[in-house]
Amino acid sequence: MKKPELGTRKEVQLDNDIAISVKGVKKSFKLPTERSSGLKQAIFNRLRGIKGYTEQKVLQGLDFEIKKGEFVGIVGRNGSGKSTLLKILAGIYYPQAGEITINGTLIPFIELGVGFNPELTGRENVYLNGALLGFSNEEMDKMYDDIWKFAELEPFQDQKLKNYSSGMQVRLAFSIAIRAQGDILLLDEVLAVGDAAFQVKCGDYFRSLHDKKQTVVLVTHSMTNVRTFCDRAILLDRGKVVMDGDPHKVADEYNRLLGIKKK
Amino acid sequence: MNIPRVLNRKNRILLKELTKTDFKLRYQGSLLGYLWALLRPLMMFAILYIVFSMWLRFGNDIPHYPVYLLCGTTLWNFFTECTSQGIQSIIIRGDLLRKISFPKYIVVISSQLTALINLGINLIVVVIFALINGVMPTWSWLLIVFPILELYLFSLGLAFLLGSINVKYRDITSIWDVIVQALFYAVPIIYPIQMVASNSLLAAKAILLNPIAQCIQDVRYFLITKEAVTTWNFIFNPSVIIPVLIVIFMLAIGANSFRRRSRYFAEEA
Repeated sequence: MKKPELGTRKEVQLDNDIAISVKGVKKSFKLPTERSSGLKQAIFNRLRGIKGYTEQKVLQGLDFEIKKGEFVGIVGRNGSGKSTLLKILAGIYYPQAGEITINGTLIPFIELGVGFNPELTGRENVYLNGALLGFSNEEMDKMYDDIWKFAELEPFQDQKLKNYSSGMQVRLAFSIAIRAQGDILLLDEVLAVGDAAFQVKCGDYFRSLHDKKQTVVLVTHSMTNVRTFCDRAILLDRGKVVMDGDPHKVADEYNRLLGIKKK
Repeated sequence: MNIPRVLNRKNRILLKELTKTDFKLRYQGSLLGYLWALLRPLMMFAILYIVFSMWLRFGNDIPHYPVYLLCGTTLWNFFTECTSQGIQSIIIRGDLLRKISFPKYIVVISSQLTALINLGINLIVVVIFALINGVMPTWSWLLIVFPILELYLFSLGLAFLLGSINVKYRDITSIWDVIVQALFYAVPIIYPIQMVASNSLLAAKAILLNPIAQCIQDVRYFLITKEAVTTWNFIFNPSVIIPVLIVIFMLAIGANSFRRRSRYFAEEA
């Protein structure tokens, strides 16, 4: 069997103004063509000399750099490769080719409330989720009360998470997430949930990130967010960068791609 | 896997919190809670004791046979818990692997730490039984650390190898269940090795080259009776080293397979 070529992803601490550098990054997934996957199917495929999968090229050579202090939006239609890109930046998926350099500590939010377990109490979940963000027990002790106050859920601390409404869970997770400290934040539409009041809080959070010159990469479908918060936007289509620059122009182009007329 | 990364602060926090969660969840919602970690193996032991010791009269010539049996089942439970939890862990934690980036071996080790804690508590029970049964405490008790470590490393190697293949080919779980059943009878737990030796010396020697058998017999030797047959006092030639080589080999191919495949766990789990 031919060994697949691999790209690289490295984390460095350099004193220049580049936060993320992406060079020629490619990624494809093997989608099984047979319905059953398992040892039997694998042996069958080997015997019949077929691959048993088709290759879905999700990212076909991306190049861009993100500077320190930039708030960058990544937009594109469903299936354009946004989330895959974010997962590669986060180190969750392995790039097939190309080179990724992350300069500084990176905090990814692919989802709010990672590791939340319905059988554990709110308190236990806070510590677990905190640990996944890299906070020790002692650090969580210090933030603990603030987290609950911000989420406005103090009376429910010792209830099991399964007794929370989905909105309550999101509020709790968000309240933990915003404490994360890193040089670069990756946000994957995590904040596209919740009611109007929650959206206001998210807006405040984005604004505060923008004001303190935090480096942020935000994957979003909301052109309002792109226009309001982003310094720059990158439009992906079919795994390629089709536009990179002014957020308003990118938002217009995105709407054109989608066939939405500009108001 | 270089040492500074294994021990770095973030990974330590993660390992600790995942283990705590595993431990809490395991006995959630049951009336007796953690007590089951003790009761279940003791009940299994009672069944084996009634069938094999009282009814079939195995091991009547071995001093402290009930403790000898309990010691064997305790270690066996540790081994099976460690391997099956380890093999399943990557799939069970698939949700995390898809959302955050961290060294993947942490999920395997955290799933096994629970088994290690259980072993510790069950060993206390073994010691209490031993004392009641009239076994005299000696300094050699402390030496059980070495065979237990060896047994753990063996199960770690197996979990790395089988767990990493299991992500793609879930058949491994079922195959492993069958192998565990077969292994149970291939290891002198319920029968004394002397019984095999009186039929076929060669078979007895072959059985003792299995690292699991070697570890269990060593612990019995250190803990209960110097009459326990161990690989070292039964095989008088250089092949006594074979079980240790098997463990090293398993750890090496396990770690290698895990390292190669772990890049794709997030896509496949």
